[in-house]
Amino acid sequence: MSSVAAAPSARSGVPSFLTWRALTILVTASAVLGPLSLIFYQSFLTAPFFDPTKTVGIGAYQFIFADSDFWHALKNSVLIAAGMTVIAVPLGSLLAFVMERTDLPGKRWFEPLILVPSFVSPMVLSFGFVVAAGPVGFYTVWSQDLFGIAPWGINSLLAMTVIAGLTHVPNVYVYASAALKSLGSDVEEAARSAGASPFRVAISVSLPLIMPSMLFAAVLVFFLGFELFGLPLVLGDPEGILVLSTYLYKLTNKLGTPSYHLMAAVAICIVAITFPLVLLQRKLLQGARKYATIKGKAGRMKELPLGKWTWLALALLVFYLFVTVIVPVSGITLRAFVTNWGFGVNLFDAFTLDSFRAVFEETTHKRAIINTILIGTVGGALTVACYTAIGFATHRRDDGWSRFVDYLVLVPRAVPGLLAGLAFLWVFLFFPPLTPLRTTIFSMWIAYTVVWLAYGMRLISSSLMQVSPELEEAARSVGAGRGTISRQITLPLIRPGLIGSWLLVFMIFEREYSTGVYLLAPGTEVIGAQLVSLWQGGAIDIVAALSLINIVLVGIGLAIALRLGVKLRD
Amino acid sequence: MAAELTVENLHLTYGDNPILKGVSMQLNQGEVVSLLGPSGSGKTTLLRAVAGLEVPHKGTIKIGDKVIFDGASGLDVPAEARNLGLVFQSYALWPHKTVADNVAFGLKLRKIPAAEIATRVKKALEELSLGHLMQRYPHQLSGGQQQRVAIARALVYNPPVILMDEPLSNLDAKLREEARAWLRELIVEMQLSALVVTHDQSESLAMSDRILLLNNGVIEQQGTPQEMYNVPQTLFTADFMGSNNRLVGKIAQLQDGKALLEGEGWKLWGRARPSAKSGAQGTGMIRLERVKVAQGPGENRVQPELTTSMFLGDKWEHIFHLGETLLRAHSATPLERGKHWVELPREDLWVF
Repeated sequence: MSSVAAAPSARSGVPSFLTWRALTILVTASAVLGPLSLIFYQSFLTAPFFDPTKTVGIGAYQFIFADSDFWHALKNSVLIAAGMTVIAVPLGSLLAFVMERTDLPGKRWFEPLILVPSFVSPMVLSFGFVVAAGPVGFYTVWSQDLFGIAPWGINSLLAMTVIAGLTHVPNVYVYASAALKSLGSDVEEAARSAGASPFRVAISVSLPLIMPSMLFAAVLVFFLGFELFGLPLVLGDPEGILVLSTYLYKLTNKLGTPSYHLMAAVAICIVAITFPLVLLQRKLLQGARKYATIKGKAGRMKELPLGKWTWLALALLVFYLFVTVIVPVSGITLRAFVTNWGFGVNLFDAFTLDSFRAVFEETTHKRAIINTILIGTVGGALTVACYTAIGFATHRRDDGWSRFVDYLVLVPRAVPGLLAGLAFLWVFLFFPPLTPLRTTIFSMWIAYTVVWLAYGMRLISSSLMQVSPELEEAARSVGAGRGTISRQITLPLIRPGLIGSWLLVFMIFEREYSTGVYLLAPGTEVIGAQLVSLWQGGAIDIVAALSLINIVLVGIGLAIALRLGVKLRD
Repeated sequence: MAAELTVENLHLTYGDNPILKGVSMQLNQGEVVSLLGPSGSGKTTLLRAVAGLEVPHKGTIKIGDKVIFDGASGLDVPAEARNLGLVFQSYALWPHKTVADNVAFGLKLRKIPAAEIATRVKKALEELSLGHLMQRYPHQLSGGQQQRVAIARALVYNPPVILMDEPLSNLDAKLREEARAWLRELIVEMQLSALVVTHDQSESLAMSDRILLLNNGVIEQQGTPQEMYNVPQTLFTADFMGSNNRLVGKIAQLQDGKALLEGEGWKLWGRARPSAKSGAQGTGMIRLERVKVAQGPGENRVQPELTTSMFLGDKWEHIFHLGETLLRAHSATPLERGKHWVELPREDLWVF
């Protein structure tokens, strides 16, 4: 050890970490708050913002509050949100218990299936229910052939609530199973040796112990109830059952003119309901984490033998999967390949590829498929890069800016995709410099990126949290500045996590539909938004074919994710 | 000898919880100083404050003549510019870099030419007998090898002071004793100035030139290992530095630095420590190895009852009952159960 080396000095010329950090936070803040403030501003105008006759006033609110349809929609939204919570929370928790704590055979194969409804577009699933179990759906027709009756309907408020509840079971499942994982199995074994059946153990011991997580999941599902759009559009709209989001969507047609001020007022009403729920969730999550660390005696984990209850648990699981996955997906698949069905029709004779031919003959559909793939792959990678940049801006920095970003990323959660898309449409119209981007896929991408900010940041920060602080401190002590540490130590270490995040973002971008509804234009077509538009136009064959293509795209992502061992949940 | 590291009146608080309450210390050139103390005493926090990873709110820290932290003027040189070597308890080797890259990183940051980096990394690793492992990744190394890589990484850019946080605690017991000897030899040979955090008193005795015993955020006592072990100034130091017998009684007499401690059925003379007061409650402390089993009555001898003996391999340990008090002592040979004479030499019994 001869010559003494001096401590490295900061390089001049390269923008410092702090400049870069400030810039990241600034860009994030404008991307999140800009569109939202535009909605807010628009809601207090008496006409669209581009209308020269507009004045400031509360006329828009007066109009919608006087509209009986608004109150009808609000009531339905509350009923569905409450109903689906009541269905999803017990079912999701019970499934989590069975999957996490018992020796049910084949668990490894069931888990991705349970999560399927959270990866398939609700628009696609709803469409699947219509073609499978609607008045002339496959299963309805078969049931009538076999038993003479088909004792269900899918177009009532009750049916919508049940379907919404079942398709939101995964949301409860992920939180309940994460909490159950951190629970020591000794408490269950104690109950078991005291004479409790597995079902009894779940009801009296395990599930009460994860109450905080279940409460969190309940608030989450209730909140998602206000975001529902595809399901009420496909199932409720034909019967005139409106919810807040479909009411907003239908407003455009109501007056014949662009009624942006009314839409903005409804949007603000929705955010006024969802934002407090998001804050409540955040509070509950902190509480749940605290609880988990107190109760968590992870380490020794023994599966509870189900014994004769195995069949009941399997039956519950298979029934759930049949109704929420098999029925809609098989419905769509059949519908995409057959011309007609019903009594006496052999499905093999009715086989056709016409729907797909129709899809590939139309430029817009082809473009929709290409755009959807691009936005998931290239766009998804860029999105993960953006989220990572934001993650680094707050990583291991506990100051006012980090707390600001913490809340900032929560904001888009409270804004349903439909509203966010609308807000971005207005941003592109409102700011002339951005207008040329309006008809490019970039407009979709930025909206998607902002809408999924909270979800993405959770993925990134869970990767970042896994990097031991000592690895970064070690780099500091040998002389590395924050920028160098981020690039040379932290980033390489979280690379596997980022690849996993990219796959998950790919899947949600393939699935996304509501954000694109208002941004849909020649050049920006994506399958999700295209489906909404085609469904409105009644092009059922094309909808079926595109839906199937959409499922296949998500399926490819899911297959790669499973192959790489990406955790589908945190 | 020039002071390489000077800490003056350092205060540090987490929230409302004071961790360091005015710590001052010096580390001289070529010296090994241990920060010793129970968990929560603030020893790791002090080390991290010196490294720049914790921010004190009062006091100063100097490296040589250069002030790197000054609470009064708000000066706080960031960790990366302090040019110190830091060895983590967990070693904190970067798992995505090879051994050579781990060691080279600090040199790259110092803009040293690639050829020189290669020779210095090779030399540093060879000095630590790691030359053949340069292209391995950390997970392919044993615990002892990882520890040496961590040390090489901290030494390669010749920092004036090397800081080590519990460098041996991640090794298993047998390896730890070998590594202790190896590390002490390395530090002496390379004339390093090292500040070492440890919670293990035998480790600190063996490795350091000076020990700083921390208790509750303040320095309880500091001195050479011999002073710390043989001349403890406080009960806490006496208790922490070795295995002890503790006798509680009343101080009946105090004269010429000697104290007479009286308990139920026994009277013993010992060396009075500063806190001893005549007529007050007193605590007698004597190292286990200083208690002698005697053949008959005599000065400073008591006659307790032997109840249990344990074979430790190289010696026996005996447990005696003196009324309510337990006395533990060693002997080379086994003893019969029953009453024995035991001597607690007056120069080895401290009275606090």
